[in-house]
Amino acid sequence: MALPLFDLALDYTLRTVALGAMLLGLSSGVIGTYAVLRRQSLLGDAMSHAALPGIALAFLLTQSKEAPILLSGALAAGWLGALLVSAITRTTRVKLDSALGLILSVFFGFGLMLLTFIQQQAGASQAGLDRFLFGQAASLMQRDVAVMGGGTTIVLLTVLLYWKEFKLLAFDPDFARVLGLRVRFLESLLTSLLVLAIVVGLQTVGVVLMSAMVVAPAAAARQWTDRLGVMVVLGALFGILAGTSGALLSSLTPRLPTGPTIVLVVTGMVIVSLLLAPNRGLVWTWARARARAGQVQADTILHHLAALAEHHDSLEYGHPSAVLRTTGLSPQQVDHTLRVLESTGLVRRIDQDRWAITPAGLIRVRPPLHAAEIEKTGDSPAHRVANPANTAREGPR
Amino acid sequence: MADRPNVQAPAVDVQDLTVAYREQPVLWDIDMTVPPGVLLAIVGPNGAGKTTLLKAILGLIRPVAGRVLIFGQPVEHQRHRISYVPQRGSVDWDFPTNVLDVVMMGTYGELGWLRRPGRRERERALAALDQVGMRELSDRQISQLSGGQQQRVFLARALVQNVDVYLMDEPFQGVDALTERAIVALLQHLRSQGKTVIAVHHDLQTVREYFDWIMLLNVRRIACGPVDQVFTEQNLRLTYGGRLATGFARETDTTAALASLTRKGDDTNGSPAL
Repeated sequence: MALPLFDLALDYTLRTVALGAMLLGLSSGVIGTYAVLRRQSLLGDAMSHAALPGIALAFLLTQSKEAPILLSGALAAGWLGALLVSAITRTTRVKLDSALGLILSVFFGFGLMLLTFIQQQAGASQAGLDRFLFGQAASLMQRDVAVMGGGTTIVLLTVLLYWKEFKLLAFDPDFARVLGLRVRFLESLLTSLLVLAIVVGLQTVGVVLMSAMVVAPAAAARQWTDRLGVMVVLGALFGILAGTSGALLSSLTPRLPTGPTIVLVVTGMVIVSLLLAPNRGLVWTWARARARAGQVQADTILHHLAALAEHHDSLEYGHPSAVLRTTGLSPQQVDHTLRVLESTGLVRRIDQDRWAITPAGLIRVRPPLHAAEIEKTGDSPAHRVANPANTAREGPR
Repeated sequence: MADRPNVQAPAVDVQDLTVAYREQPVLWDIDMTVPPGVLLAIVGPNGAGKTTLLKAILGLIRPVAGRVLIFGQPVEHQRHRISYVPQRGSVDWDFPTNVLDVVMMGTYGELGWLRRPGRRERERALAALDQVGMRELSDRQISQLSGGQQQRVFLARALVQNVDVYLMDEPFQGVDALTERAIVALLQHLRSQGKTVIAVHHDLQTVREYFDWIMLLNVRRIACGPVDQVFTEQNLRLTYGGRLATGFARETDTTAALASLTRKGDDTNGSPAL
């Protein structure tokens, strides 16, 4: 790459692209948190697809390619889509998922039709609209970024102002209504913010993949925290990170569409979060399950050795490890567990492959119920087995 | 409560209430008048409309016909005097928040727009958690609560509101015997303060012990009134369609009812009474 060109790009285009992608990630990360928590992730998908005919109609009506005009069209169409989904679910027996699918495909199909129509009309200036399909960060102008900044500011301010209301709405809308909150208003406000956040990202990510930016950062953030405030901030950070890196990557590589690049980056974040996040991560869960399995194996072996010791009435008598395979554990598992138990002093090796439980191990599997009672009778399980009198009696065997 | 206009008005007054999902009536022409300061059990079989009745009183469901008054006024004007303890399963317990935060949600109504819960709300939430024996768990993530603990968190959230009428949907569901005793004591304490508690209840054996009023419901109102007047064999048979066995209701009716049931044969499948 020619160096001077790169410098130039860094100066203007890249800075604009980075800023735009940052705003996109910020607004969709924040509002996506609520969409995910309210189980309305798919609403974002329907809204973004529904925006396409709005863009095309705005262009057809005004013949202008100015971002504010096209995005106003997107906003109106997305909002109309949301309104229709809610009307369909409220007045008919059609369920939410079907209503979303219906609106998504009808609006998107209509949008594609309009787009084809516009392109057939020819005129080189009309060709640019298909960048809204898969997004083209490089086409962002400073003016576009200003519009995006306005949308993002509205989203952030509203979420701050309605913090506790939105929290309650997401957790328990019925209770919110019992408290006298205007739930219907809050719901439409939240949906409007979702549409707004989607519109902010349309130019960069495109209508087809925009829903990923609503769902993925929030889903990744949920893995790392159990607090709503932290989740919102993390969602914003993940969104910013994915948006910026994806947009820069696609701007620096010729013919790499921005939307898919951003989505791949954010998918990577989700995968890492699903695997590695403490507590909720799969690796973590797997490690815990393994530790538990190890504990169960250890308990099984200890119980067997205790039973054997009681049967022989001796803590000195060594038992071959093969006997312990009757527990259903593999030889490797038995050997491994025995070594672990030996290192913690619960079993000991009598000779080559003969093992016995220690007094400490016996107390572990046969805990004395009442300490006082034991003192009175001197009858703890370990005491009982290890009693020299007993061993002497059984000794000659 | 400083001003209590219309002291004589019933705490909850339901008149001619009909609720329908599509064509199917779920509640049909319900009348129910509950004076202040009683502990009322709503009893009826599955699908009788018990939860629907609560939701209709709260204004969460729009009825086809009829009206609901809380202390003589529509519920929209009495939000500060009524609270709700929903069934545990009605929310997603994997929501990222902790016990104290959920209980503080009970203060959101009076806080109004823009104000966040502060120290005072925190203190009240902790006091409410104390009442249900959950103060030590105030920092606990709600996804880590047992069923009984979830129930008590919801109870504390309602207590924080400090209202006059509490509507509870199966407050004893899934709680152990000890917790049930504690919740009953709490409800009776509320009644002693003049509060009204309306709870959906399933255990016929404890109705007489826990509650002083009862509403027998099966889509229609079977009977509503003080337990010792209304909780009769006759009414139970009407509510449960005659298949429910005996032993819960008044002695005088029991003998006759037992006789009639035994005559019917073995399809009653034994008596759940002790």
